Amino acid sequence: MVIHWLWVLPFVLLLIGGLIYKAYRHRGEHHHHHGFGHKHGEATIAVDTYAYHSGIAHWNPAFKVVLSIVLLLFCVISDSVEVSLIIICFTTFVTVVLGDLSFHHYFEMLTIPLVFLIVGSVIILINFSWTPMTNVILCLPVFNFFVIITHDSLYVTVHLWARAFGALSAMYMMSLSTMSNEIFSVLRKAHVPALLIELMNMIYRNIFIMADTQNRMRNAAESRLGYVDYRTSLKSFGSTISNLFIVSLKRSGHLFDAMEARCYDGELLFLETEKPLNAKLILMALGVVAYCVLVWVMTRGV
Amino acid sequence: MSKLSKKQKWLVAGLLAVALCFGISPVTGAMHIMEGYLPMGFCILWYVISIPFVVWGFIQLKKSIDANRRNMAIIAMCGAFIFIISSLKIPSVTGSCSHMTGTGLGALLFGPAAVSVLSVIVLLFQAILLAHGGLTTLGANTFSMGIAGPFLSFGIYMLGKKFNFNKKVTVFVACFLGDLFTYCVTALQLALAYPSELGGYSASFVKFLGVFAPTQIPLAIIEGILSVIVIIALESYAKPEMRSLGFIEQEA
Repeated sequence: MVIHWLWVLPFVLLLIGGLIYKAYRHRGEHHHHHGFGHKHGEATIAVDTYAYHSGIAHWNPAFKVVLSIVLLLFCVISDSVEVSLIIICFTTFVTVVLGDLSFHHYFEMLTIPLVFLIVGSVIILINFSWTPMTNVILCLPVFNFFVIITHDSLYVTVHLWARAFGALSAMYMMSLSTMSNEIFSVLRKAHVPALLIELMNMIYRNIFIMADTQNRMRNAAESRLGYVDYRTSLKSFGSTISNLFIVSLKRSGHLFDAMEARCYDGELLFLETEKPLNAKLILMALGVVAYCVLVWVMTRGV
Repeated sequence: MSKLSKKQKWLVAGLLAVALCFGISPVTGAMHIMEGYLPMGFCILWYVISIPFVVWGFIQLKKSIDANRRNMAIIAMCGAFIFIISSLKIPSVTGSCSHMTGTGLGALLFGPAAVSVLSVIVLLFQAILLAHGGLTTLGANTFSMGIAGPFLSFGIYMLGKKFNFNKKVTVFVACFLGDLFTYCVTALQLALAYPSELGGYSASFVKFLGVFAPTQIPLAIIEGILSVIVIIALESYAKPEMRSLGFIEQEA
């Protein structure tokens, strides 16, 4: 059993080494906190900002998207704790060390989904029964029933943790390093219908405009005691939303006029920077995927 | 099996309380199933179930855009609107952060077909930008948020309109039940993937329902109230726009 954990070791060492190297490189610098928080309206912008500033923004976007999705799918299909741990270490290494994202910010991005994961898995972990059971890990009497943790439910929970965390970190590797318009252009190359891509592009732009408008309206309402008690805040929130709807509806008309004035005929085209594929990166990706497959095969059936 | 001492019982109760407090905020966050939460088989199953609805919605959308290009801008705006209202904190009694699903309101305004396509895009953005939901669970989330809930809301709204019920009551009931239905479908999806060993699917379904119920039922009521407020405001300030969406019938 122990021998299987040795498979994970190289990647744990890679991650630790990378973090130490990063700390060494940034020694003596003051830690800046940029005020990104968990505030929702701005959280959308946080991921976007990180993606623009990422140290691996110059990698080929298709490469990043494909690698993330392959790792993500492999994590879910293999359903193996060892493979998940390898993927977690590798993707964290790529995002934090190569992408040069502060570990603090990365951790902050992970907390909300992780808390959700922990709570969600508790429901799967525990079972309720009216009668006590033997041959289980835990059997706690609570009032007049029993809370039971069985070997199977613990197994399922541990696997769920590993799978979800691995999948999440693989997805973050993509979203924290690839700008959204690049993701869209990758989708376009993958022959997703043009209309869908257009909608994505325009919805994406509208989200930022609306989030900004909503923020300002909320501030205006709040400074006029619009959220002073519960009843008022419901009313303010409702009217903010409906006003947002009306304003944006009018604005979408202007947007369309502006686009049409610039010869829009059903396709938005953006200038994209050429980001050539790097043979070294492909080799690295193939190496990691091959290693994951190897570990999966070697540790199966235990 | 030894009995627990009083102290241990308090410890368990305390831990449960902590788990609940922590649970409430992110769980209500949205009834999205997280990335990697479902096994592969179920991911594919829900994708397959959702695809016909989304394709149908896509064809409807394409028709309306081909008829009038201008609809494109409006539909894109609607998508952004659904994203914004489903990621905004709404005022809530417990102080936890809770969100509307927004798709019930969307279905009343733009029809369930458009909402199914828009919610795919919105859920994709939420997965990538906010880590709500996920890429592998996109099919399951689309089914609960973008298909089951909106279709029920729209159906109830149409029934109410046919029998000439009070419009405000109909909107409230439609959005309230749409939200509740979304949450029941999500609980069902989770229960199917993770049946309880003691009692099978039904026990697991009750477990998932029970954990989400204390937060989701008040939330559904709030969603209903907010939807009514929004609809009233829209009808009084934005008649022409509502008419262009087809929400208010054209006057002769």
